[in-house]
Amino acid sequence: MRVTQGCFSFLPDLTDEQITRQVQYCLEKGWAVNIEFTDDPHPRNSFWEMWGLPMFDLRDAAGVMMELAQCRKVYGNSYIRMSAFDNSHGWESVRLSFIVNRPKDEPGFRLERHEMAGRNIRYTTKSYAVDRPEGGRYG
Amino acid sequence: MDLDASPMTDRVNLREELEAVGIEEILTQLDRELIGLKPVKTRIREIASLLLIERIRKRMNLTTDTPTLHMSFTGNPGTGKTTVALRIAGILHRLGFARRGHVVSVTRDELVGQYIGHTAPKTKEVLKKAMGGVLFIDEAYYLNRPDNERDYGQEAIEILLQVMESQREDLVVILAGYGDRMEKFFASNPGFRSRIAHHIDFPDYSNDELLAIAELMLHDMNYKFSDEAREAFTRYIAARVTQPLFSNARSIRNALDRMRLRQANRLVADLDRMLDADDVMSLQASDVLASRVFLKDKS
Amino acid sequence: MPHDLLIPTVPTSRRTQHEETSMNQHSMTIRGKERYKSGVMEYKKMGYWEPDYVPKDTDIIALFRVTPQDGVDPIEAAAAVAGESSTATWTVVWTDRLTAAEKYRAKCYRVDPVPNSPGQYFAYIAYDLDLFENGSIANLSASIIGNVFGFKPLKALRLEDMRLPVAYVKTFQGPATGIVVERERMDKFGRPLLGATVKPKLGLSGRNYGRVVYEALKGGLDFTKDDENINSQPFMHWRERFLYCMEAVNKAQAASGEIKGTYLNVTAGTMEDMYERAEFAKELGSVIIMIDLVIGYTAIQSMAKWARRNDMILHLHRAGHSTYTRQRSHGVSFRVIAKWMRLAGVDHIHAGTVVGKLEGDPATTRGYYDICREDYNPVRLEHGVFFDQNWASLNRMMPVASGGIHAGQMHQLLDHLGEDVILQFGGGTIGHPMGIQAGATANRVALEAMILARNEGRDYLREGPEILAKAAETCTPLKSALEVWKNVTFNYESTDMPDYVPTPSVAM
Repeated sequence: MRVTQGCFSFLPDLTDEQITRQVQYCLEKGWAVNIEFTDDPHPRNSFWEMWGLPMFDLRDAAGVMMELAQCRKVYGNSYIRMSAFDNSHGWESVRLSFIVNRPKDEPGFRLERHEMAGRNIRYTTKSYAVDRPEGGRYG
Repeated sequence: MDLDASPMTDRVNLREELEAVGIEEILTQLDRELIGLKPVKTRIREIASLLLIERIRKRMNLTTDTPTLHMSFTGNPGTGKTTVALRIAGILHRLGFARRGHVVSVTRDELVGQYIGHTAPKTKEVLKKAMGGVLFIDEAYYLNRPDNERDYGQEAIEILLQVMESQREDLVVILAGYGDRMEKFFASNPGFRSRIAHHIDFPDYSNDELLAIAELMLHDMNYKFSDEAREAFTRYIAARVTQPLFSNARSIRNALDRMRLRQANRLVADLDRMLDADDVMSLQASDVLASRVFLKDKS
Repeated sequence: MPHDLLIPTVPTSRRTQHEETSMNQHSMTIRGKERYKSGVMEYKKMGYWEPDYVPKDTDIIALFRVTPQDGVDPIEAAAAVAGESSTATWTVVWTDRLTAAEKYRAKCYRVDPVPNSPGQYFAYIAYDLDLFENGSIANLSASIIGNVFGFKPLKALRLEDMRLPVAYVKTFQGPATGIVVERERMDKFGRPLLGATVKPKLGLSGRNYGRVVYEALKGGLDFTKDDENINSQPFMHWRERFLYCMEAVNKAQAASGEIKGTYLNVTAGTMEDMYERAEFAKELGSVIIMIDLVIGYTAIQSMAKWARRNDMILHLHRAGHSTYTRQRSHGVSFRVIAKWMRLAGVDHIHAGTVVGKLEGDPATTRGYYDICREDYNPVRLEHGVFFDQNWASLNRMMPVASGGIHAGQMHQLLDHLGEDVILQFGGGTIGHPMGIQAGATANRVALEAMILARNEGRDYLREGPEILAKAAETCTPLKSALEVWKNVTFNYESTDMPDYVPTPSVAM
């Protein structure tokens, strides 16, 4: 399966050149770009690990790409995403987020159904990956 | 300007090319803002010509490498190194060798940390901000302190050297400082010397040039010397350059600021007179001669 | 009827510039003892026409398009609108003197002929804030569009726009969730959201209905939607629909790793029924519920409060609005409805597509979108926005573009509507020749390719077809969608357009 979170997951994986252009777009908007990674891509897992702090006051995407290269060296078989933060009043949240790295094999999720009264069902989404302890997932 | 955007070609009209990139404007601006500095200006013109040809060679597919553009600026304080760095960044930007063309100016404190694990993130932070432009490191020799064995400067130097080598297309580094100390610094860090393509030496200003600088500064602020004041200031310069802590144009600016203060005091002392524009624009000899420089001169 | 109401006015087309502006000059208010003499008096003499009045920051201002009956003085007609929408009745009443009547009288302070529309006038009327109850659209609308729309001396009357003072805005909750928090909850940033209305509108069983939801969400949409008249009918009762829909949502979520939602329509005959359905939706874990405009303003405000209390996104389908928003000369402009709904507190509102099958010219639609999404709307006559409007940090509403749109228009949609919008491709998803999942995928790929190109700085509007064709090279569903719908457009004359068009000015 392919986790389709983020802005460009239905397109073929972005090349570094394409990623650079998207990052540059964010910087020119004045947004701070953050690199985040995880081995638990549950749809409700909001807080991926941060690779350093959001990068403020950058002019050129090369700085972000330098960090991405280093993050990939360490977490090359995890999910890595770029998140761009806009601090302008009335938004003060993420403006753009997209996946820039995936594990070689994406096991996906199991849907557990817990039957209740009145044909009601409680659903739980479980990532197959988290059956193994943190850090040991995706081999 | 983006080099990628220029089409491949096999014939180039040099004049059109020069006008298209607009570096002549920057060179003229440099001539206008900086008095003297003849050898520096000549070097900048040479570098600009070299890069212009480099750009054309790229478009003719005769070269694909990004040339090494890191520089060292040596000279005493107040000789225009920062201003020239700004203009160089503009030239690099217009010629397509710096994508954003901004200058990030730092000293040791912004690069080197206080404890283990502090330096690498600090240096990288600065490098990331400078990407696409020029990183100007003032008094670069303070980066390493060979006498202190627990110094973290070496860590910053290693990261700098690596990025200067591997990301030449992303960043131009200018190392600046006093000539003699830079010489020693390069001697103990040969890695830097080999990565620097252009050494530019900034000479001290002559006394005539310092006077011209003063007149230019006053003109920009809508002030002027009276004839007597000009004569007094000529003597002021002659005395000041021999005293300690003289820093060229910067000392001139400080002297002018103090003279404006004295002029204001002089004017306010007589509340009953009518002032015209000439009165408030003019610095008089007394505003100059009250300087302590002359006291020392007499003693 | 006072006799000078019968004096025919000079037709607008023959007025000079000077005469037009001079319409606004004189106050005719009678003061002192004469004012309260029993009998009939013209509205403009009773204090409802005050051309020298300067509206206060706390006044509510309404702009009406007034079409007086033939022979009726436009100033008198405008004053009558002010009177009938505030304190006046047809005759002088002495009980006015027991009140601070001058404060409560609405004041028409400006009347302009409508450009290029002989016989129509724009009347600006200011209302004191004390005329209205805090936080009640019902009270606001009962005053402003209560009796006055049936008033005999008028041929037609339309409420074009309103200026809502910050002091009044702050008495409303506003959108329960807002665009930013909706994006955070949905974990979707940087692109329009995608939706589809389940079709056919009527007749599907719960099980079949859920199938459509599953296919569309799994294929790549973020939302599916009940239609406005899907409530609880013999072919599918509401609990069936909710249960099957949530099975579909959860399955699609697990299959994609993305948050998904389906707008469960809780519209019902009574508030009690609506609350019951909303509670069940919450119990099932839905992120969003839906209501129709026809449930009424008070019911909408109640549901908005419920949604805020229960962390639920609230979708509003503007069912019925065209009965009073569409005609230019009579009714209420949709921009006013949009303002009222932002106060009332819904999160989503259908606001037009420009390029689709439903009414809406680009400039007017742009005005609606700005009202939904900006914190401050400056006057933009060319978009039909007549007042500066400060929203005082009330949440933003997500506009929804739905009806007759397809993947091949993606560049135009993005250009007209921007990024904070929900694009709903009902037919454009379910009608795809390769099936619903393929239809959803085609839309998602087209959208992502267009956003990528836009962010890269490409001229995506001009290069749109090229960008889509390139994306279709690696996406067969998009290729066939572009093929099937390549020539579908809806080009009809709009019935509601701005009265002011910008004139190019010469730089001096």
